Amino acid sequence: MTWNTRALPFGILPILCFLLAQTVAAGTSRIYVTNSAGDSVTVVDPVTNKVVQIIAGIEVPHGVNFSRDGKQVYISNETDSVLDVVDQRSGKIINKVHLSGHPNNSAVTKDGREVLVCIAAAPGALDVVDTTSMEVVKTVPVKGPLHNVYVTPDGKFAVAGSVAAKRLTVIDLKTMESVCDVSFDGGVRPMTFDTNADGSTRRIFVQLSNLHGFAVVDFAKHQEVSRVMLPEGKYGKEEWRLGTPSHGIAVAPDGKTLWVNSILANAVFEYSLPDLKLLGHAALPEVKRQGKPASGAVPEWITFTPDNKTVYVSNSAARSVSAIDTQTLKEIASIPVGEVPKRINTLVLP
Amino acid sequence: MPRWVGFLVVAYLVSMLHADIPRATAQTARAASQSSGAATDSPGSPTLDYEFFKTRVEPIFLKKRPTHARCYVCHEEANHALKLAKLTPGSTTWTEEESRRNFDMVSGLVTPGDPLGSTLLRHPLAPEAGGDAFHSGGRQFESQSDPDWKMLADWVRGQKTK
Repeated sequence: MTWNTRALPFGILPILCFLLAQTVAAGTSRIYVTNSAGDSVTVVDPVTNKVVQIIAGIEVPHGVNFSRDGKQVYISNETDSVLDVVDQRSGKIINKVHLSGHPNNSAVTKDGREVLVCIAAAPGALDVVDTTSMEVVKTVPVKGPLHNVYVTPDGKFAVAGSVAAKRLTVIDLKTMESVCDVSFDGGVRPMTFDTNADGSTRRIFVQLSNLHGFAVVDFAKHQEVSRVMLPEGKYGKEEWRLGTPSHGIAVAPDGKTLWVNSILANAVFEYSLPDLKLLGHAALPEVKRQGKPASGAVPEWITFTPDNKTVYVSNSAARSVSAIDTQTLKEIASIPVGEVPKRINTLVLP
Repeated sequence: MPRWVGFLVVAYLVSMLHADIPRATAQTARAASQSSGAATDSPGSPTLDYEFFKTRVEPIFLKKRPTHARCYVCHEEANHALKLAKLTPGSTTWTEEESRRNFDMVSGLVTPGDPLGSTLLRHPLAPEAGGDAFHSGGRQFESQSDPDWKMLADWVRGQKTK
């Protein structure tokens, strides 16, 4: 057998391109996992699905977000009631912003100028942290302790939810004033959004306490228009999670599918958008128990790789994160992380 | 109203009053035993020792175990079954009054003589080691051989300060 030496470079070219693409992908995104009953944040490389960094010294971290240039990581710290600012490369804490009260989750505005932090201590508020001065420049009053906050895909509004007050509040990010509330019959848990053709917000998908599914809110009308129930399952009771049967919901980066965690089914379900048809599900790992039947992983949160190929689910009872192929709906990696992993987020490096 | 109807109403109220007495008596007895530094669930079961609790058990709630959050961080005046007294700002231990309050509260989460029948020990124990399926504070104890878990078990079995 002889090699065609002139053709060799052309044969190698696709391989080199593939390797280059892998290298670029490896260098462009990271999955951050807050270990809510621990003292660290775990960072995963989505190409290898290996832990590449551990940010230490943050007892009971909650939300994790990033500066626009990806150089800083913002982590809300429940123990010290601060927003920890971490150097992305070294993983070291470089600043602590004192908040107006005990925090929960956080979000960053599209222009990167502000970090919004939910204040879970009564009476509840939304702290606005200026990312230049690194101080709280405004505390927006709301009607109830806040748990999660999001910035709408068009960047115009923040939407914050309260478990205790059973309502979500929409805040205009230009004026930093509350513009409307939507009330529910259960505490407001995670949320996500889909968009109209012009990029404006179309609907909010809202998970609620005691609802094994999600509510659909018409964003323009500010009212609930329907509910979608998830297929049933056998888990939840042993895990003491019947009051929070579904936690973790997200729209894929391409906007074509909606993914919803189920604690009762120990699975993540995939729905089509915009018609909300059930497409399938991926099973999550079980937790072995001494002398008793295995229990569920208690999934908490969802994030994706930017190319839509992998969805990550934090398994709070299993001390792991599942990396799931979005095409085959199979777990391709189970990544061990810290104590009770909850919020996870994807950093896309410029 | 006929007199017999009034008699029946009075008889019913008297019977209800008496029905509540055993519960009230038990509560009084338990409170009395606890305030004297010991708590017991039923005759024959071990007595929970206050001094052992204060010197050996309470420090576990404040202890920082590697990679874990402290119990106190989540259970300080929390809306959980385990609700620990809030430390005075600047203080690293509880006052006598706060410890007494903690003792009364924590005693309600154990079955004297039965560590694995006690929520206090079962809930933070890893499910792989005989613990509950899920504790939002994680696997504080990986096994029943953990020295702190064994200390809690000793208290539940009625061990006293030597």
